[in-house]
Amino acid sequence: MNMELATTDRTDGAWDQVVTDTRVHRSVYADPSIFQHEMASIFAGTWVYLLHESEIPNANDFRAARLGSRPVIVTRDAKNQLHVLMNRCTHRGATICREKSGQAATFTCPYHGWRFKNDGKLMGVPGRDAYGNAFSRDRFSLGRAPRVESYRGFVFATLNQEAPDLETHLGQARFFIDQWLDQGGGDGLVVQSSAHRFHLKCNWKLIFDNAGDGYHVPFSHQSLLKMTADRYGGGDMTYFGDADKSSMRVYDLGNGHTLIDQREEMYNPSAWKQQRPQPGRETFEGSVAARKPQDEQSSTLDMAVGSGMNLNIFPNLLLIGNQIQVIEPLSVGETILTWYATTLDGVDEEVNVMRMRTQEDFPILGETDDAANFEACQQGLMSIPEEEWVDISRHVTTNTDRAERDGIVSGPVTSDLHLRAYFRRWKELMKVKPNIQTRPEGDAQ
Amino acid sequence: MNEQTSPEAKAAPQPASTYIDAELYTWLDAASEDFRAFDPGRVAEIDGVHSLLASEARALDDQAFGPWLDLYVADCVYWVPSNWPASSAALTVSLEFHDRRRLIDRVDRLGTGLAYSQLPPSRTARVLGMPEIWKHEDGRGHIRARAPFVMGETRAGENRVLSGWNGYVLRQTDEGLRIVVKQVNLIDADEPQGNNSFFL
Repeated sequence: MNMELATTDRTDGAWDQVVTDTRVHRSVYADPSIFQHEMASIFAGTWVYLLHESEIPNANDFRAARLGSRPVIVTRDAKNQLHVLMNRCTHRGATICREKSGQAATFTCPYHGWRFKNDGKLMGVPGRDAYGNAFSRDRFSLGRAPRVESYRGFVFATLNQEAPDLETHLGQARFFIDQWLDQGGGDGLVVQSSAHRFHLKCNWKLIFDNAGDGYHVPFSHQSLLKMTADRYGGGDMTYFGDADKSSMRVYDLGNGHTLIDQREEMYNPSAWKQQRPQPGRETFEGSVAARKPQDEQSSTLDMAVGSGMNLNIFPNLLLIGNQIQVIEPLSVGETILTWYATTLDGVDEEVNVMRMRTQEDFPILGETDDAANFEACQQGLMSIPEEEWVDISRHVTTNTDRAERDGIVSGPVTSDLHLRAYFRRWKELMKVKPNIQTRPEGDAQ
Repeated sequence: MNEQTSPEAKAAPQPASTYIDAELYTWLDAASEDFRAFDPGRVAEIDGVHSLLASEARALDDQAFGPWLDLYVADCVYWVPSNWPASSAALTVSLEFHDRRRLIDRVDRLGTGLAYSQLPPSRTARVLGMPEIWKHEDGRGHIRARAPFVMGETRAGENRVLSGWNGYVLRQTDEGLRIVVKQVNLIDADEPQGNNSFFL
């Protein structure tokens, strides 16, 4: 069978051939036309994470973001209403906002001076008379995501008029998002502490694949585990060394969302005790010992440690450690990955300072090795058409999957359950042509 | 700590690192601001600074990490901010912010030969521009300097150019002039980065 030909076919049967429960065809990672299809069916057709509300806390705040590869501006208008606007002048197509973030009640296109309110409405057109009496400003509002919803501060948007509501989409993942948010303590999460940003020469799914991969750790991160063993006698992630013997599981939460739960290993007995020492550790420990009652000390120290969860919200949000990772596909072989640092509201400042140092650890000591492997995968997948398949069959035949509550299924932590789960969702979405709108009916400009 | 399974070598984390505290962060904020100030009147020629900065750059180009670490004092800070201008490290995540202990973690990790982001290793050539040097004596250092840099890097057939400026706090010690702080300000610190798994 010639799969290269088959991938130009967009029937349900063709999708069933390129993605099965045991293998995925290389074209899914390497074919620009499949990428274009994803930008409609996935990155417009389902809920895409954009930002956390604490990034734009005040009226008239804005931040640039991407809905798939579409540049958008997420704004909070004067009445605190959120809008997701296409960053494209309705006149000639220029991006109207060229700042990353800031405060603006209006956006003026630098080209011909068309001016838009931060709710997307066209306010002013220089020399408007020349367009005649029939000119309607309403027709030239900025394009927008017709549906914008938040879950506990996480802002998502979709262009699909018929997508289920956000809570339905998040489904079983909501329970774990709540746990992720609540376990740090404090009064809420704040995303105002900059980020690690990576430009990766790989398909976006190679990043998503890895987020639920409990198999790669002792190999990809061997340098980190060896250094940690040599210098500190173990700790941090050592429990991944022989992961199938651990109690860790990977969970299929439905709708493409998955979880690797490391907490039982990581918090046994204390995540802080396992953590490789970070800058400021002794100062923080000393202060907590001096100021906190005995029974609060361990939990206070653990507030500065990662969450012990890889909570993967399909298609582009990864809650890993204490960072919010956001995947932004640029092209079939090019992706921006951003790790937003988080602090906690209503806790002692020293907790948040320690969290900064903790959140710097993996990006430089681990993620760089992952990134090198993602790019190496892309090279192999792009360049050898005769070698067609990626294997996702680990633990398919071992009868180790387990039914959990509420329809959740779990497998051993090194299982490819994560890939099988999200690719099933991927395929469902790719088979449907979503009802995509960026402006009200009858308003096609 | 995996106490049951790792009987060997798990004394206190080494070396102990007690100097990263609130006072240090406040001092770093002030140093950061001082690096950014344009003040031609303070700039002077001070013996030993050019040669120290040249040796530091050379050691990194040679990946001679032992001799490189010897150029830093025990209570050093190696800092690569994630924004421009750098905001306080206390409540901002940095691309890198290391005390000496985490610097050694980085060096030892690369030394395992298993750090795949450095397989093959990067080759670098850094060009430091003429440094501005000025006296600034306080409890932590005696001299400060700022130098722009351009760094060519090649790895696995791909060439890149990284650029920015470094701020340095230097201290006279019995062994000679040593580095207390190196702050690496990439001109694209707040943009997505490629594989920066070597030292900048």
